[in-house]
Amino acid sequence: MSNLLHFSEHTLQEVALVLMATVYFLRIRWFMKWPLGKERQPATGLGDTNPKKGERYSLANVAMPWAMESTRLKPLMYIQFVVFHLGVVAAIALSFIIPYGPGLLESSAFVSVIQVLTGAAFIVGVMRIIRRISNPYIRAISSPDDHFSLILLTSWFAFAFLAAPNDISGGEGIMLTYFFLTAFFLIYVPFSKISHYLYYPFTRTYLGRTFGRRGVFPIRRKPAYQMSK
Amino acid sequence: MSSIKNERSYKAQKLLDRMGQKLTRQMVGSLTACVHCGMCTDSCHYVLANPGDPTFAPAYKADRIRKLFKNHYDWTGKVFPKWVKAGSIFTDEELHELKDIVFGKCTNCRRCTINCPMGVDLATFNRMARGLLCYVGIMPEGVEYVAKEQWEIGNQMGVLKEDYIETIEWQEEELQSEMEDPTAKIPIDKPDSNIVYVINPREIKHDPRSVLDAAKIFYVAGEDYTMPSEGWDMTNFGLFNGDDELGGAVAGRVYDKVEELRGKKLVISECGHGYRSTRCEGPNWAKKDIAFEAESSVITMLRYIKQGKIKVDKTKNPGSYTFHDSCNNARSCGLTEEPRELLSLVVEDFREMYPNRAENYCCTGGGGAMSMAEYRPSRLKSAKIKADQLAATGTKTVVTSCHNCVDGLTDLIGHYKLGMDVTQLVNLVANALVVDDIVEENKKKYAEKEEVGAQ
Repeated sequence: MSNLLHFSEHTLQEVALVLMATVYFLRIRWFMKWPLGKERQPATGLGDTNPKKGERYSLANVAMPWAMESTRLKPLMYIQFVVFHLGVVAAIALSFIIPYGPGLLESSAFVSVIQVLTGAAFIVGVMRIIRRISNPYIRAISSPDDHFSLILLTSWFAFAFLAAPNDISGGEGIMLTYFFLTAFFLIYVPFSKISHYLYYPFTRTYLGRTFGRRGVFPIRRKPAYQMSK
Repeated sequence: MSSIKNERSYKAQKLLDRMGQKLTRQMVGSLTACVHCGMCTDSCHYVLANPGDPTFAPAYKADRIRKLFKNHYDWTGKVFPKWVKAGSIFTDEELHELKDIVFGKCTNCRRCTINCPMGVDLATFNRMARGLLCYVGIMPEGVEYVAKEQWEIGNQMGVLKEDYIETIEWQEEELQSEMEDPTAKIPIDKPDSNIVYVINPREIKHDPRSVLDAAKIFYVAGEDYTMPSEGWDMTNFGLFNGDDELGGAVAGRVYDKVEELRGKKLVISECGHGYRSTRCEGPNWAKKDIAFEAESSVITMLRYIKQGKIKVDKTKNPGSYTFHDSCNNARSCGLTEEPRELLSLVVEDFREMYPNRAENYCCTGGGGAMSMAEYRPSRLKSAKIKADQLAATGTKTVVTSCHNCVDGLTDLIGHYKLGMDVTQLVNLVANALVVDDIVEENKKKYAEKEEVGAQ
């Protein structure tokens, strides 16, 4: 292993992680400085829910595709979402496994799992790029950051797929690209929309708390009244 | 008015300054968290009725507000404005364009909110944007007029106290006549009552029958109630124009009156935005914790039936009925099951509309849209979605628990020639009341009294 590859797997990643954590800390601090709107209304609804239940339902929404019409009626979009995010988890895990637990990658089954996840995420990424460009609704709301973040992640999946075997016998190019991309990704993420997961717990908690108090969450769809004579 | 770009108009500057004062952490979360996934797009009736036009998409509309936030309050937008589509606003013309989006292309129905994977509550910051525009005097004329009436006269239809009292007295006479009871009352300002009943001014101005129907129900139930002489308007244009001060003042008038009368419970007649404003948002706007119970008259009526205080005969309401959920009732207050249960007790043929409850589509008259004449063509075009929903039920009558929805639905039913009627639960419950025995007894009682008097 060259010094450059060693640097990219260790020092570069560590510096990037520290930078990311610092910006995240500043971002959360900035966010928490905004005053929290107070809810004074007494609880409404049937009494079978409450703010806490609403929060739990809202946070679990991500794993309940039936809960929202938008995911219920578009299962393919939900599957894409799951595959894409599993790919993110696999690609991030790989960036830790290669330098700190390379023994895991001696198992071809494990490598296959990583490759299936990152490979599938790459395909979804390509589909998403096409959708972002071709769908007039999505194109109209897309910012340069939206396009760039998606292209960045999709490329990163491709290199994670190739880097998963942790084999430098054919050259270090792929590994270097993967680790430099990972470092760039870590530094760029806090400034981009990719950091949305930082806000997810807050937005979903606040919405769930309000809608739980108001008896809206969990959303009801039954019973269906059909009582013709 | 400034016409030179980069030289900000007085109003634009005022709006931007005000924005910082109105932002809460919940709003900032919603303004920051959108990932432009587009999952909200198909949830909006404006989008569905205007295929191919992305300017109606919730995320697109939200971005008109979000760009200001990013540019002036979020440091990513300050550092990389073009990269994250941050932008500012400079001219009054741009403010008017924003007005057409936040008032004319969104009814604040919150359907996109419940369909957003990230939990972005567009309706809340759309309302904030409305409030900012109103703060600098830019709003649809109808909204300005109604808000002014509510500030100055105390109710959104400019009903004078004399007219209000006179209408109540007129309905009291009707009640006496229908119930054959010359002592039947619609009490006004009766202290220490169990219930203080507040209504929508539309009931006084256009639909006094609803006041009579409620009075009949209270009469038969033997309820100890009163209507207030002031603070009786439970509607609140503060919800629509985003003015928390107006919202707090209007709700505060109602709360103060209930406290003055030492009422035990506030009962709010059927009105979606009135219920939400008085029951849910009012305490937040008025910054006041209310010490008495408040409930929708739907819950009150249902309780009367369950407790046997009133008896109903569903055969008195023949025909087929469907139920339209008001967005404010269902999506913002969780009032979805009680109206269904009540409706199933007073009609024989009730058929669900799909989607329903919190997923129902707006009547398209929500968010104050009925007072914005300039957007009527666009509103009625978007109403195609609701019209299709109504037609698919195959029913003759649509029932709703909202005066605003009554107007919105009536307008679209006429426009799309659906030939349906619109009614409210209070009308159906009153019509289904079993009162023959009571009326006969009253007849006898007062005939005997007259005889005794004559002797």
